[in-house]
Amino acid sequence: MQKIRVLVANRPRLMKDLVLATIGDQPDIEVVGETQDEAEITELVERTRPDYLIIALENPEVRPGLSGFLLGRYPEMKILALAAERNSGIFYWAFVDIRSMPVESSEQGILGVLRSKPELVGI
Amino acid sequence: MSDSENVQVFILAENRLLREALTRILGKKNDIRVVGASAFSPDVVAQISSASPDVLLSDSAAVALSDLRLISEVRAAIPGLKVVMIGMDADPETFLRAVRDGIVGFVLKDASAMEVAAAVRCVANHEAVCPPSLCMALFERVASQNQNAHPASFVIRHNLGLTRREQQLVQMISHGLTNKEIASQLNLSEQTVKNHIHRMLRKLGAADRLGAVELCRLPGAVA
Repeated sequence: MQKIRVLVANRPRLMKDLVLATIGDQPDIEVVGETQDEAEITELVERTRPDYLIIALENPEVRPGLSGFLLGRYPEMKILALAAERNSGIFYWAFVDIRSMPVESSEQGILGVLRSKPELVGI
Repeated sequence: MSDSENVQVFILAENRLLREALTRILGKKNDIRVVGASAFSPDVVAQISSASPDVLLSDSAAVALSDLRLISEVRAAIPGLKVVMIGMDADPETFLRAVRDGIVGFVLKDASAMEVAAAVRCVANHEAVCPPSLCMALFERVASQNQNAHPASFVIRHNLGLTRREQQLVQMISHGLTNKEIASQLNLSEQTVKNHIHRMLRKLGAADRLGAVELCRLPGAVA
């Protein structure tokens, strides 16, 4: 079975550690890279070509600028943005244009998104 | 420690990932046992008390939801409890308020999960934990209190010279109430409350509201 390839690039460090602890020992998920430096993300995406990128969500009302750029360039990739203080997260993917849906910042929420196939259900 | 082998920890956090993943990470340590995890709720103090932890690990969001009373309430309910707070930002006033309420450990969200575990061990071993940047705020606050010591002694002898209304305001400020909340409780306008507080700070020679509360906490300060 092909593993789900995930690049973990959210902040702050504690939340990144917690995401890694959540997905690190899942047999169907492979962490292909990690960083806290936003400037490194594009280069790492280019190098590792993950299925999913996890980034920080500073403001749930505003789509992270990086997500639009990266989904334009790598439309096959999906992005999960997680807030540090609230339970909120948002899942972004490209489907003609950029789509999104809210996700709970929890183990179940993260794993549910990583194992989802949004392009098949058209959401 | 209630168990000679394990530090028993209760995790209080609004963010569910923080609760779940920290429970998983700390649970893997041989010397730490997570005895409970919860978001803030009105009965959380009872919940923590029944778990009887050695250490409460709380994020600042949960404390903020309790109108900042949570730490003092939970410490009153569980004598000897050590509290570690995970601060979402390095705001000195939030940190100093938490220290006054009785926390003995403070880690920032930039800490690693290993550093959080280390902080739990440290406080269980009667050591304090504080980020260097906030240590400076603590040193400066203690030093400024020392500089005010002589005038304070003088005013204490005169019962601080506060009117009953001003003494009432100090108590309300020490409970974390805002000017708006005080105004509402005392049926005064917010501007009148501001005027009272301004006058009181001048009388006390205190730099700010928290400084006034500290002065009035000294024994015999108020009638």
